[in-house]
Amino acid sequence: MDRDTAIGGPQGRFPSTQASLVEAAAAGLTSEALERVMALYWKPVYRYIRLKFRKNNEDAKDLTQAFFAAALERDFFARFDPAKASFRTYLRMAVERFAANQHAAASRQKRGGDVEFEPVEEQAATTESPEEIFEREWRRQLFSVALDDLRAYCEGCGKQLQFRIFEAYDLAGGERPSYALLAARHGIAETAVTNHLAWARRTLRALVNERLRGVTSGEQELRKEMRLVWM
Amino acid sequence: MDVSDAVVDHLRRVAALPDLTGTRYELESEIGRGGLGVVYRAHDRQLDRCVALKILDSALAGEAQLIARLEHPAIVPIYETGTLPDGRVFYAMKLITGARLDEYLAGSPSLGERLRVLRRVGEALAFAHTRGAIHRDLKPQNVMVGEFGEVYVMDWGVDGVAGTPAFRAPDARLDERSDIYSLGALVQFLLPASALPALRAIAAKAMNADPGARYPDVPALLDDVERFQEGLAVEAWSEPVWHRLRRFGSRNAVLLWLLAAYAGVKFVLFFLRRL
Repeated sequence: MDRDTAIGGPQGRFPSTQASLVEAAAAGLTSEALERVMALYWKPVYRYIRLKFRKNNEDAKDLTQAFFAAALERDFFARFDPAKASFRTYLRMAVERFAANQHAAASRQKRGGDVEFEPVEEQAATTESPEEIFEREWRRQLFSVALDDLRAYCEGCGKQLQFRIFEAYDLAGGERPSYALLAARHGIAETAVTNHLAWARRTLRALVNERLRGVTSGEQELRKEMRLVWM
Repeated sequence: MDVSDAVVDHLRRVAALPDLTGTRYELESEIGRGGLGVVYRAHDRQLDRCVALKILDSALAGEAQLIARLEHPAIVPIYETGTLPDGRVFYAMKLITGARLDEYLAGSPSLGERLRVLRRVGEALAFAHTRGAIHRDLKPQNVMVGEFGEVYVMDWGVDGVAGTPAFRAPDARLDERSDIYSLGALVQFLLPASALPALRAIAAKAMNADPGARYPDVPALLDDVERFQEGLAVEAWSEPVWHRLRRFGSRNAVLLWLLAAYAGVKFVLFFLRRL
C-alpha cells in the first residue's frame, strides 16, 4: 500500500478563543470554520475514504479535497443540526454520502461497471471498522494539532525548556527517561521537571479543549466531546 | 506533529490529571473512571488521611454541591468541594474500603443479607429523592459494602449521565421513576437463582417499561419487600390460591400445630371414652 499523504497536516499556530461552528456560520465565517474543521478532519476523512471505499492514495486525496471544496460551496454548516447528531457524526455521514455518490458515478463511467478496488492491507489486518478508525484518527489528529499549538505557544512565550522536557518525557515513544536524568540533562532541579511537566500538560489540555470548541456547535456538544476525549 | 496511539493514550491520561496546587490534597493514584468524572485516591495533608477525589467538568459545579448536601448513612460523605485552576470542580469524599456489590455477591450471602443491602440502598435513594437528587446510574458497581457491613451508594449521577444499559430505564428523560427501574434491576441482580416468585414480581414491577406502572416511589417498593419478609402478600404479585394457602401455613405454623395437636388429643379422648 502506498504511503498516506501529508496534506491537511497541522497548522502550527496558537488558537485564540475560537467561535463555535454555529457562531461562525451565523457570523458568515464559513471559510474560517472550514479551515478549523479541515485541520482536524482532513486526515480522518481521507483515511475513512481510503478504507471504506478502498481508494488508492491519490484517489482518496482527490475525493477528500473534493468533499471539503463541496462543503464550502453547499452551505454545509448551515445544514448541520446539533439536536440530531454531533458534528463529527454529521460530517462522517456527509462524507459517506458524498464518497458513495462519487464512487457510483465513477463506476458508471467504467465499461461494464466493473470497479477496481485497491487492496488495503491495514483493513485486512485489523478488526476495527472504518468508523472506528475514523474516530481513532480524529483523536490522534486532535492531539497532533494541539501539540503543534503547544510548541508554537512555548516558542512564542520563551518556554522552550518546558516543551523540551515535555517532549522528552511525555512524547517518548519507548521507555521514558527518569525525572533525575532530565533534571541533570537540563541542569535544573527535579522539582522543576515536575513543575514544567505539569505546566505543559495543563496547557496542552487547554489547547485541546480550544481546538474542540472550534469544531463543535456550542457548549453542550463541547462538554460531550471533552468527556469523550478525557474520560 | 505525528503521534502514535500509545502516546495519545498517555497524553489523555496525564493531561487530565488535576492540578491540586493550593489545595490540601496530594494525588496518589487513579481509582476509577465514570460517566462524568475520574476518581483518584489522594492524601489529605492537613488531616493526614486518604480520601477519594472526584474530578468533574466545570459545568457540573451546581450538581456537585447538591450531592455534597446529601447527608445519609448510606451515602458516601463529601468532605469538601472546590474548583481547580483550570475550572474543573472536585469533591473530596470518604475513601471506602470494602467490596463492590458484584464482588460481595461472589461470597454467596444469605437472602436476608442481600435484602438488608437492598434496603440500605433503597433508603439512600428515597432520601436523595426527597432532596431533589436522583442517582441516574444505579448499578452493582456503584454500591459498596464496607468492612463492617455498612452499605454505601456511590457515584451519584449528575445531569448528562447516560446510565448503564442493563440497569438504565428506557425512559427518554431520567427522573425518580428511572431510579426505581434501576433499583428493580438491582433487586433482580441481588436475587439468587432460586428466588421466590414474589421477589421476582417486585423486580418486574419496578422495571416496567411504562414508568406509570412502576412503584410510585422507593418506599412503596421497600414496603413490598418488607411484606415479603414478613410472609404477607406482596402488591406486585397476585399469587395463586395454593401459594396463598402455603404462605398462610408457614406464617401461622405454630397456631396450626396447636390446632392439630388439640384435634389429635380430642380424637384420642373420644375413643378412650368409648372403651
